[in-house]
Amino acid sequence: MPGMTSAPVLTFTNVSFTYRGDWLNRIHALKRVDLSVPRGSAYGFLGANGAGKSTSIKLAMGLLHGHKGDITLLGEPIGDHRLRARVGFLPEQPFFYDNLAVGEYLAYLGHLSGLHGGTLSAAIERVYQLLDLGDLRARKLGSFSKGMRQRFGLAQAILHRPDLLVLDEPFSGLDPLWRARFKEVMALERTRGATLFFSSHILSDIEDLCDSYCVIDHGEVLEQGRLADLLGQAPLQLTASGAPAAGATVAPDGTWQLTFPESRRAEVLGALPPGAVLRLERQRIALEDYFVNRVKAHHGAGTRLGGES
Amino acid sequence: MIWVIASATMRESIRSKAFLGLLALYLVAVLLSRIAGWISGTDGDVVTTSIVFSLQSIFGVLVAVATGTALVQTEIQQKTLYTILSRPVKRWHFVLGKFLGLSGSLIAGQVIMVLIGLVYLRATGAQVTGWALLAGLLTMLEVLVMASVSLCWTALTTPLVAVALCLATYALGHAVGELPNLLYHLHGVKLLLCSALAALVPDLSRFVYRDLALHQIPITAADLAGRVVYGLLWISLFVTITTVVFRRKQL
Repeated sequence: MPGMTSAPVLTFTNVSFTYRGDWLNRIHALKRVDLSVPRGSAYGFLGANGAGKSTSIKLAMGLLHGHKGDITLLGEPIGDHRLRARVGFLPEQPFFYDNLAVGEYLAYLGHLSGLHGGTLSAAIERVYQLLDLGDLRARKLGSFSKGMRQRFGLAQAILHRPDLLVLDEPFSGLDPLWRARFKEVMALERTRGATLFFSSHILSDIEDLCDSYCVIDHGEVLEQGRLADLLGQAPLQLTASGAPAAGATVAPDGTWQLTFPESRRAEVLGALPPGAVLRLERQRIALEDYFVNRVKAHHGAGTRLGGES
Repeated sequence: MIWVIASATMRESIRSKAFLGLLALYLVAVLLSRIAGWISGTDGDVVTTSIVFSLQSIFGVLVAVATGTALVQTEIQQKTLYTILSRPVKRWHFVLGKFLGLSGSLIAGQVIMVLIGLVYLRATGAQVTGWALLAGLLTMLEVLVMASVSLCWTALTTPLVAVALCLATYALGHAVGELPNLLYHLHGVKLLLCSALAALVPDLSRFVYRDLALHQIPITAADLAGRVVYGLLWISLFVTITTVVFRRKQL
């Protein structure tokens, strides 16, 4: 985890937010949300559709107002717009001006981020290379497919080498090749020192990239922490020979297998004679199953997932 | 920051289909204006010139309403503004930049229209004086006022309703100039109330000098300055309202 320190780059403290529809139909999108994104981390923001991920991101980016509680960005309260020069943002399903070409659009957004002259040209060349946009520099964005818009979206987000990269469903609309490339680019950005904060409901992406995670549902944070700690909770599977332990499954070749939690490690292994252990490995948690079970457990089996209420 | 946004907005709207399509329609309408001149029989040149001047206003306002209402709403609906406002840009920078960019494209459109009109009138042998250019300038100001109106209505409501309200404002704006003639029989509170309500709408007839210019009736510098200041004050008011509304908007 390069550059990882304990100082968070984004914090939500007791944040609630209600969309003002008509007064009888207010939507409580976030309810007392607490979260903390450590500097240098890759933080996965997990939740079903309508769970409150995009609302949280919009609040952090200053696109929504009127929340209760405190939000800090890069150690400062979010009110100061200058902080956003150090943040890169890829919105969910981004759209761009149809009639501007890739090159002039990047120059436009680069100017807004405070880049000029040679620095801007170098930054544009860098993202051209990272996302294969060089051949498309003169092409207008109105002619772009969904996946190409996503590539341009990531390009504009990393253009100014931000300290915090906020990506809302970054892999949406990408083919497998570009998913892999996006992961490479995100890993490169992290190596450069950026903190990644991204939402997704594709859990394998979270598993591939993140070291921290947060699960949100119906506007409430169900849990958050380090992914390694979560995966470390997976039970151990022992394959051994000799007299089988209680509850073990005996194989035809005389070996036996026993699955037990981490908390029983010393007890189980201590009871075995020397040389009996053939293999000890941790079972893999399927994050997909874990996530679904976690959300269902919170609301009771059979309830709909997500849905801002 | 404001000029960067204005420059991108101007490029985007000048290349838009609505802008180019309305310019093309203007060209066709100018070419067809001669038919009205033929029909009128006598003073055919005067009628043609009057129509060409009027077309500049009508098409200018149509471009202003079409591009102005699309400008901010498209940004909100398609979320193109997310990548802008997530940068160190204040919302009032965004609104002002958008308005200036829109104004730039409208001025460019008006210059093209005036040039097309003048070339056409010259080619058809109609007499065009310097007063016509002044009339063109005031029409341009009227178009800019309507651009600020369209931006304001768009910030307050949906695009379709905004278009309807813009066209209503345009019609009312040309009607309020005649209001003093209609209020002659009112007195006291009624007169005050009607005058106050009329003052809520920009008097667009103040920018109509084209008929006088046609007959080479001069306008004084003070009168011209008064009309320009009047237009700029309304523009400032509408842009300020838009900014206040947009600052509080949930995106």
